[in-house]
Amino acid sequence: MKITVQRSGGIAAMTRVWSVEAVSDDDKERWMPIVEACPWDEAKSQARTVNEPDRFMYSIRAGQRRATLPERAVTGPWQELVECAKAEGSESRGRLGARR
Amino acid sequence: MLCSIVPPYMLRRIAAQSEPRLWAVARAAKESLLHIKDLQAVRAAPAPSTPPSVVAAKPSPPKRTIYDADTSENLPGRVVRKEGAAPIGDAAADEAYDGLGSTHRLYAEIFGRDSIDGAGLALDATVHYGNLYDNAFWDGNQMVFGDGDGEIFQRFTKSVSVIGHELAHGVTQFTAGLNYRNQAGALNESMSDVFGVLVEQYLKKETTEQASWLIGEGLFTDKVQGAALRSMKAPGTAYDDDILGKDPQPDSMDTYVRTSADNGGVHINSGIPNRAFYLVASELGGNAWGAPGQIWYGTLTSGSLPSACTFGKFAKTTAATAEELFGVGSVEHDAVLKAWETVKVKV
Repeated sequence: MKITVQRSGGIAAMTRVWSVEAVSDDDKERWMPIVEACPWDEAKSQARTVNEPDRFMYSIRAGQRRATLPERAVTGPWQELVECAKAEGSESRGRLGARR
Repeated sequence: MLCSIVPPYMLRRIAAQSEPRLWAVARAAKESLLHIKDLQAVRAAPAPSTPPSVVAAKPSPPKRTIYDADTSENLPGRVVRKEGAAPIGDAAADEAYDGLGSTHRLYAEIFGRDSIDGAGLALDATVHYGNLYDNAFWDGNQMVFGDGDGEIFQRFTKSVSVIGHELAHGVTQFTAGLNYRNQAGALNESMSDVFGVLVEQYLKKETTEQASWLIGEGLFTDKVQGAALRSMKAPGTAYDDDILGKDPQPDSMDTYVRTSADNGGVHINSGIPNRAFYLVASELGGNAWGAPGQIWYGTLTSGSLPSACTFGKFAKTTAATAEELFGVGSVEHDAVLKAWETVKVKV
């Protein structure tokens, strides 16, 4: 299972991406409870939530699951997932969408 | 019935003043004349429930409070400096206090605006927010500043244009109420960049030619290959770093970025209206808080911008505002039309 946390926005508008590959049984055993604890279905209603100016936006993927959350909503299990991915994941700088 | 104590002929005379120090007064007079015109047209109609002010009230002094979050994410934190108190020796807290004062001064002295909401709103800011937090934001009520991660960013209070940027989000919230998504969001961001640089230029008394036109100059550590977060003069050139990559801002509609990230690229496509403002200032020369600032501020507070405003609607409104303030065919009006043509936004 691949877990990806993309953080965009902020006043600097620099996109950062942290990725984790949970391949071994030990990794899956450790990451699954963290992923399962997140309210993925509820996150759909937050995807279009108006963000506060200059705050970060998070796009989170874990396997087939996806969620887009404003920074203010990254609390509880979401915060744990994000913090774990930041701490253990490999980081890359994301690229924004295609130019017209 | 709404009445003006100043007779229309006197208002017209005041409105015609072109001396920079009288711009705020001239604007108030123009607004009053517009209100009177409206009133004459609807004199028979019932009085509005919330009558607009006829003459702008004298802005009140700032009411600043600086809080310290002590690296937590709890707002507002503990009070460390209140209005009129001496510096406390904490760089972030003292920079925030001074930056709020500089921002309040620009709005009061140049635009005749009484704080962020136009009604003397107290200015609150929290510093030392979060652990190595690499951001600054406006939460709808106050400003919040992180200390930076020390690797890429230093503390965000180091740049007065960033402080002005955050407070301008408050002004936009209380005036045009531009959505924070897609083109309206990019305009929201651009307003903050425009008034952020004006705060810095007015503080330093810099002309258009002397100013850097950079947002967030000095925020990067010396490990980063870059001058600032954004350049209004040359969007897309503020930084080019091995780790950060290249500044992604477009400088015209030819390179408009379509993305779902960053609320639809609000900090990215703001490069287009940012450059339009710079081009107007460059064409007119002198101080950007003069005619260019008056046109942009007049547009923001015109009541004509929808919350889902597009670049095209905004451009048309700046042209209409320039026409109203300076006349059709004036150098100011022509400069606005030329700027939007250069960045390829149709007026």
